[in-house]
Amino acid sequence: MTVTEFVDGPLWYFALAVFFLGIAWRLVVILANGWRGDLSRPRRSGLTGSVRALFSRFAPAPGIGRRIGLHLTGGYLFHLGLFALLLFAAPHVAFYAERLSLPAWQPMPHWAFVLVSELAFIGLMLLWLNRVLNPVTRLISSTGDHLSSILTFLVMLSGCLALEQAHEPLRVLHFFLVEVLMIYFPFSSLMHAFTFVLSREALGYRYGRRGVPV
Amino acid sequence: MRHWWVWVWLCLGATLFPPVHAAGPSTDKVLNPGAELWNEVRGRQAAPATTQVQGRDSQVLVNEWGEHFRDYRRQRFVRYSGYLLAGVVSLLLLYHLLHGGLEVTESGRKVLRFELTERIVHWLLAGVFLLLTVTGVVLAFGRFVVLPWSGPEVFAVIASASKEGHNLFGPLFIVALLWFFVLFVGRNLPRLVDIYWLIRAGGMLGGGHPAAGFFNGGEKIWFWILTIGGLAVSTSGVVLDFPALVEGRNPLVLALVVHGIAAVVLIAASFGHMYLGTLGVKGSLEGMKSGLVDEAWAHAHHVLWYEELNRKAQAESSAREQGQ
Repeated sequence: MTVTEFVDGPLWYFALAVFFLGIAWRLVVILANGWRGDLSRPRRSGLTGSVRALFSRFAPAPGIGRRIGLHLTGGYLFHLGLFALLLFAAPHVAFYAERLSLPAWQPMPHWAFVLVSELAFIGLMLLWLNRVLNPVTRLISSTGDHLSSILTFLVMLSGCLALEQAHEPLRVLHFFLVEVLMIYFPFSSLMHAFTFVLSREALGYRYGRRGVPV
Repeated sequence: MRHWWVWVWLCLGATLFPPVHAAGPSTDKVLNPGAELWNEVRGRQAAPATTQVQGRDSQVLVNEWGEHFRDYRRQRFVRYSGYLLAGVVSLLLLYHLLHGGLEVTESGRKVLRFELTERIVHWLLAGVFLLLTVTGVVLAFGRFVVLPWSGPEVFAVIASASKEGHNLFGPLFIVALLWFFVLFVGRNLPRLVDIYWLIRAGGMLGGGHPAAGFFNGGEKIWFWILTIGGLAVSTSGVVLDFPALVEGRNPLVLALVVHGIAAVVLIAASFGHMYLGTLGVKGSLEGMKSGLVDEAWAHAHHVLWYEELNRKAQAESSAREQGQ
């Protein structure tokens, strides 16, 4: 079995299984912890609070927007850029159709792909630089956080280096790094892609019941 | 590299003033039919070639400038820029072996030198610059340095990846450079004291540290090399990324020449910056990592800035006392 066959075959299926089962397991563990009941009489609706928290947290709290402007800009550039690349880059759309049997949808044009890649890259670099240079974020960052940033950067970089789609080794390298990221994902802080919803819901529900503005 | 400027000038001339073919019939009596054919193919005859294909350069069968550029790139650019880069590294190594790095006994008290945003933008620019340097060096020198070792198949992969990476990170360099310029230009405007600092070579040849403000003369020179060189590589890079912006081939050749020369100058100068920021002047790197430098370091290397900090601190202190 060649490296290409291994990466395209067994490793892909293994990564896929770890990714989905790992995420499911993490979410089940969180939900199985249960909800410690609040015996106090609710002042307002907890449900309204949870819905409000889910969306209001997309904007910074009043008063700190300017202070975290760089972090905020980097965050939005990276996350929106990454989602656009994941879902609408032409090679990805073709891949989903071919390997996951999903119906193909309209990919973004090449110029948009390049532009979005640039924005995502600059966002990721700003985020990581803020993580290592800001004394506060440096203190609360673990090795795993840095590993997540570096791995994500390498996945994006290898994808862009393979953009010419003329050399199989570059595609295999990109695919291999994607698989490593998928295997690492459920065990890392990258899980925030899913857990941020639970965290905001829980916080919003608790605050909502107590009448704290969310 | 003796006549590089002539070449650049020729390219510039070719862009502004397209080559004028010799007027009138040739008086040359050598009637070699092969030579005549190739003279016509190369467009050296009085009458230009005709074609039904409409478009710029469509009547050009062989572009002579392409061959000139190929010779320039292979014979001059690669060789002399290689000499320059190797020479700068050797000089820095020799200086370090003979002189060692400048070191100041620390006081233990820290002062803020660079804000968080300034450090982030500096490292963003540095990171993108390094990525562009690695990929650019592969593109410029790879055929001569990497290919003999890697073989054509591996080199094709490396070169393709470098090209895509270089094209992708180029625009990020422009963004980072502009941001960096806006943040730092105010402190990099030349002052009289910088000339004195430069005459004394920043104290590197002995005689103690000459006075300097927030940035010394050497740092300001690096800033302006980066700005002007960065502008040159950015402009030429945009032309190379989007060839439809210009008409004809000669502007593209000129862009390649400018891009190559400016990039090599930037890389050579960056070696000096990296050396001084790490081994050459101990304590500098810490300033760009944490933002803080030791007071003794600030006093030794940037005494005018240090005194200004003290004056501000005293003024604030007396204002507080008056307020109480």
